[in-house]
Amino acid sequence: MILDLHTHSIKSDDGRAKVRNYCQWIRTRGIPIDGFVLTEHRQFDFDSDYSELARKHELVILKGAEVETEYGHVLVFGVTEGLYECFDFTRIGLRLEEVIEHCNAHNAIAAPCHPGRPRVGMSAHLEEHGVPKGVRIVEIHNGGSRADEDAVAAAMAEELGYLGIGGSDSHIVSHIGRCATEFPFPVHTEAELVEALRAEQFRAIPRAS
Amino acid sequence: MSTVKTIADVEFGGELPSFKPDTSIDATRRFGKYVGWDSPRFTDHEGARKEGLPGAIVPGVMSQGFLGAMIHRWAPDAEIVAIDTIFRAPVLVDQPHSITGVVTDVDEDASTVEIDITVTNEAGETRVFGTATAKLPNG
Repeated sequence: MILDLHTHSIKSDDGRAKVRNYCQWIRTRGIPIDGFVLTEHRQFDFDSDYSELARKHELVILKGAEVETEYGHVLVFGVTEGLYECFDFTRIGLRLEEVIEHCNAHNAIAAPCHPGRPRVGMSAHLEEHGVPKGVRIVEIHNGGSRADEDAVAAAMAEELGYLGIGGSDSHIVSHIGRCATEFPFPVHTEAELVEALRAEQFRAIPRAS
Repeated sequence: MSTVKTIADVEFGGELPSFKPDTSIDATRRFGKYVGWDSPRFTDHEGARKEGLPGAIVPGVMSQGFLGAMIHRWAPDAEIVAIDTIFRAPVLVDQPHSITGVVTDVDEDASTVEIDITVTNEAGETRVFGTATAKLPNG
């Protein structure tokens, strides 16, 4: 099963894609993914219900978040109301280790995204802050990467023994599915996604050249 | 080049003819002269480097002009309601870029289409992306 683990909709301040158009695009263009995770910036969207769209298009549509820490941006999978109360998702400059601790306590997973990117990626902050405790997974393929950002991410992951995921980081409809993550078994809920990530059996799919 | 005349001609997923904009230093100098805005960052590589840029960059509004022109070449009778761009990285002067557009929403009742627009460099990196909304005549 292939999921794009990093997408944004119009719920994000810089997102321009409607979720229904993502679904239409995936099916019309035959994008080889089975679903996607909406990781809106600095928030978790408790309100939207995409179950009807998911059924209509036979896609898995899950929700996560992208928060901001002193190490850059971090995807959070498995957000619950309990986790949401633990820290302020809207705040810039969260402490990554605290985010990870809270995620672990609430059966969620935090994964630094585009870690090879200047300023907003983890590798840019290692010299200043050192290697953070608790990171297990990072995004090594990001659809919006430029220059050698993915190579820097992959090298960092290899050096520090991290596992890699992929996501498009799409903000407009036509960019969805540029990168993704393949799991060896079905994933239909946020809880199953966390379980699948914890099982550490997945493969990051790079952008097709 | 295929053009569309009315909303009935447009399909979800339809591609606009891609376009290679003139990003030469002569073009940005002309643009700067016409609009009265000839900052070295747009018209002089060395001056731009002194400002910390990798070289002269294409003004954002000039890139938006390219996008609008691409839409009108595709649909000459379209009224561009909005162009909403997000500048992820500079469009560097004297480097080849491509602009692509694709229809990602069709509202036949409102007679409008939404178009994804992407500006990429030769390495395939997205430098600018966004959406445009255009109103077309009814069929």
